[in-house]
Amino acid sequence: MMSYKTLVGLEIHVELMTERKMFCNCKNEFGAMPNTNVCPVCLGLPGALPVMDKEAVEYAIMAGLAFNCEIEKTIIMDRKSYFYPDLTKGYQISQSDFPLCKGGFLEIDLDEGPKKIRLERIHIEEDTGKQIHTENGTTLLDFNRSGVPLIEIVTKPDINSSEEARLFLEKLKNTIKYLGVSDVKMEEGSLRCDVNINVIDEERNIRTNISEIKNLNSFKSVVKAIEYEQKRHIEALENGSNTDKETRRFNELTGETILMRKKFQASDYRYQFEADLTPIEIKEEWINEIRTAMPELPDQKKRRFMKDYKLNEYDASILTQSKELSFFYEELTDLVNDAKLAANWVMTDVLRRLKEEDKELSQLNLTPKALAELLDYVKSGKVNNNTAKKVLREMLETGESAKNIIDKQGLIQINDEEELSRVIDEVIKDNQQSVEDFKNGKDRALGYLMGQIMKKTKGKANPNTANKMLIDKINKN
Amino acid sequence: MISKEEVKNIAEIAKLKFGEDELEAFTEKFSLVLDFVHNINKVDTEGIEPCYGISEENGFFKELEEEQTLDREEVLKNTTESEYGYFKILKVVE
Amino acid sequence: MDITNLKAWEIREKILNKEISSYEVTEQFLEKIDEVEDEINAFITIDADRALDEAKKVDEKIAQGIEIGILAGLPVAVKDNIMTKNLRTTCASKMLEKYIPPYNATVVEKIKKEDGIIIGKTNMDEFAMGGSTETSYFGITRNPRNKSIVPGGSSGGSAAAIAANEAALSLGTDTGGSIRQPASYCGVVGIKPTYGLVSRFGVVPMSNSLDQVGVFGKDVKDAYLALKSIAGFDPHDATSSKRAKLEELNFDEVSLKGLKIALPKEYDELRVKGDEKIRVVFENSIRVFERNGAKIEYVSLPYLKYALETYYLISTAEVSTNLSRFDGIRYGHRAFEYKTLDELYINSRTEGFGEETKRRIMMGTYALSQGYKDEHYKKALKIRTLIKNDYDRIFKDYDVILSITSPILPFPFDSVINSPVDMYKADTYTVPVNLAGLCAISVPMGEVDSLPVGLQITANRFNEKTLFTAAYGYERSANDEL
Ligand SMILES: [Mg+2]
Ligand SMILES: [Zn+2]
Repeated sequence: MMSYKTLVGLEIHVELMTERKMFCNCKNEFGAMPNTNVCPVCLGLPGALPVMDKEAVEYAIMAGLAFNCEIEKTIIMDRKSYFYPDLTKGYQISQSDFPLCKGGFLEIDLDEGPKKIRLERIHIEEDTGKQIHTENGTTLLDFNRSGVPLIEIVTKPDINSSEEARLFLEKLKNTIKYLGVSDVKMEEGSLRCDVNINVIDEERNIRTNISEIKNLNSFKSVVKAIEYEQKRHIEALENGSNTDKETRRFNELTGETILMRKKFQASDYRYQFEADLTPIEIKEEWINEIRTAMPELPDQKKRRFMKDYKLNEYDASILTQSKELSFFYEELTDLVNDAKLAANWVMTDVLRRLKEEDKELSQLNLTPKALAELLDYVKSGKVNNNTAKKVLREMLETGESAKNIIDKQGLIQINDEEELSRVIDEVIKDNQQSVEDFKNGKDRALGYLMGQIMKKTKGKANPNTANKMLIDKINKN
Repeated sequence: MISKEEVKNIAEIAKLKFGEDELEAFTEKFSLVLDFVHNINKVDTEGIEPCYGISEENGFFKELEEEQTLDREEVLKNTTESEYGYFKILKVVE
Repeated sequence: MDITNLKAWEIREKILNKEISSYEVTEQFLEKIDEVEDEINAFITIDADRALDEAKKVDEKIAQGIEIGILAGLPVAVKDNIMTKNLRTTCASKMLEKYIPPYNATVVEKIKKEDGIIIGKTNMDEFAMGGSTETSYFGITRNPRNKSIVPGGSSGGSAAAIAANEAALSLGTDTGGSIRQPASYCGVVGIKPTYGLVSRFGVVPMSNSLDQVGVFGKDVKDAYLALKSIAGFDPHDATSSKRAKLEELNFDEVSLKGLKIALPKEYDELRVKGDEKIRVVFENSIRVFERNGAKIEYVSLPYLKYALETYYLISTAEVSTNLSRFDGIRYGHRAFEYKTLDELYINSRTEGFGEETKRRIMMGTYALSQGYKDEHYKKALKIRTLIKNDYDRIFKDYDVILSITSPILPFPFDSVINSPVDMYKADTYTVPVNLAGLCAISVPMGEVDSLPVGLQITANRFNEKTLFTAAYGYERSANDEL
């Protein structure tokens, strides 16, 4: 394995969340009844003409700036010709010679340090409709999605493993979410990914032919497909043969890729200048306006968190790994006015919960305000840490506020030394054996006694105070 | 000159079909036209920009206006077959 | 009185003066259609009932003194590649034999807004490809001047409808001469406006970087009136110009004096065999300009020599993609039998398209295909730049260019069509105008062998005012000299 190097390039399609479709005034929305969100333009009726959507270009430029690309000076569109039932005009309006954004890169964090994955280009194009294959031998077509604006992000083959691919995609997805130009939901198809892969035998200096794996619809599939292909390509090299240049499909059930078509049969797209769209100049001022209006990006935010909140790099990168999480954390910190406390709670309790339930933050029953209320109890010592954790669990389950739960169950921490003294006396009286054990040097006995105190106070005893008082009382005995 | 095979291949890309006889005649006519077109090879176009639209004006963006969405009845009016609001063709999975 | 003989602007005056109602005018034109259509076949679809209803509405407006549009109840015929809502639009193809559009082209909306009456849809070469209207799926159109002769094309039906008094005005489209050449053949006036002056929204493209909607009329004033109604910026056509507006022109003040006219030398090299007689008539027209004070000089446009080839490559390349949407799925002809996706496409398209259409799709597919694209399509785009530069240079010093419209006489049916290259050569004078996006008009300049021949006047982009000045000045002087 040592001498093999895997080269992976990704092509990622991202649907832009513009108000309208790319070339007509139909709304850009998901989930309408079939063929009810279409007009002559996006249906490709004879005679209908496209006119470019400004917001779509703005969003694409924003993505280009976020990924450090050079922005083209003029918008020139091309027709990419192929026949397919979900394509209304027999060509897709896309870009060939003059992609809107050129070059650029995205940095991923590896154990050995950061790595730049270079981009080839980002271009804009329109989405197609959707096909549904029914069981009774028909194909049904819905064109509501036809004409939704997309950006296609093409990387250079700088990715060398499935793990790097996953890290790249996560970073990309996160950055786009920060920008707010797409909801990047793979399950709704607003982010789709193709993989180009081949393997080099570095010693013998031979390389396999590139295979393209189309339409992967989860990061998991991307990882599995790369791993499967990597193996297939290496086996070919070891057998002294080679892979064919071809397009393949990933089967999620078997975890294997299957041949779709040989590349030499692949369609010749016959790119042609789209003369229906007069080129539009992109002025420097416009780019600057877009740059100014751009939201903070993950890397910037990470650096700011380290500086403003005195977080270490690890914590800062965890807290900025998704836009929602970073916003949640910031709002929480503002409310409780304790960056460290907020970070601890978000990173342990909130993130654990998300992981356990495999959920997004937005699906969780928790606002920063609600959590802040709970943390105020912790900060002021009215509720102890363990109780607070239990309260949070209940908040997530019932949606009730911290105050309600604490009030209803009387969970305010007992700091009152008189009350604690009474409980501790009772515990000492009822557990003489343990007291003796502790005196004889068995430290574990102290834990048992503390447990009894907590039991009697339903966990409300201030653990520090109770612990101190218990030891004092035993020693005085 | 262009061969019959090449013409066949172009027909495949253009999704058209010609009978053998037609193909023969077609290849002949095609060759004539190609000879004629090749005349442009004489022109030196070194350093000349392709014409991306004849207009000297800058292009413009779409004006935001009410959507021109069609009623579904209108959408499906001109198709041969439809079902449940979808266009319908026989299953043609590759 | 047979009102259909009159010029549109004359009929308009009569309607506005209430000498005659729009309803009566429409009725007369419909009667004329009834009378001659069996022989001429200028129309694919006639919309008689709706036309009469619309005419009635216009009359009511006039009766109530409501302000009336500039087309004031005039029957207008529309080429059948222009979308008319709920009125069949076929592009003269089996592919769209039954197609009912759910929307109007912008030009149709404009005609309605100006109170024009759409009387029917005219015959044409299939998808506007051809120069004789012989490739229509709906049969040939005959030239009203001589029934054994073609009316020209592709807007043959629209030209014939004017020549046969079947409509007051008509709309055509012109990609490489498709308005000017039939105007010349039928002895009427036809104008191809500057690219971007008239909206293409709702007009089925043949070659979208060259196509432009234009008009036919009996004389220059008619053409002006018709063009005025449809010119203008359209936000739904991204190639539409913000400068798009037809300037006011006072015809009474028109003079040819001082008009600077250019005659390209290259036209002599490009001469087509057998055009001698047409040339004589052309020389006479030049004299008319001269006698009326215009200055005439020879100029050189060296890249004109490559215009036909350039045109052919660009237009077919665009045709091939513009016609890709006709796949039988959402509209148009769908093959009855297919077992695979490829068969659905291939059978539907092979059955739905005619010969010439298929030939051009093939050529365009070839021009764009891998390995050929740079030497064909891209090279042609560069030569187009050179041709445009040639014209830009000439129009710095000259107002208009004069030429004949078509180097060949209107021909009998089935004659030229079998030699594609000869057929293309007939477009020598018209094609460069589209490549450079200029405006040009064909005005009758006399007869050869009892067949009409046209004079082509070309002006710079958005210089329609100069074009109409030259055309009207010529038309009036030529008539005066008769
Ligand atoms: Mg793409
Ligand atoms: Zn739409």
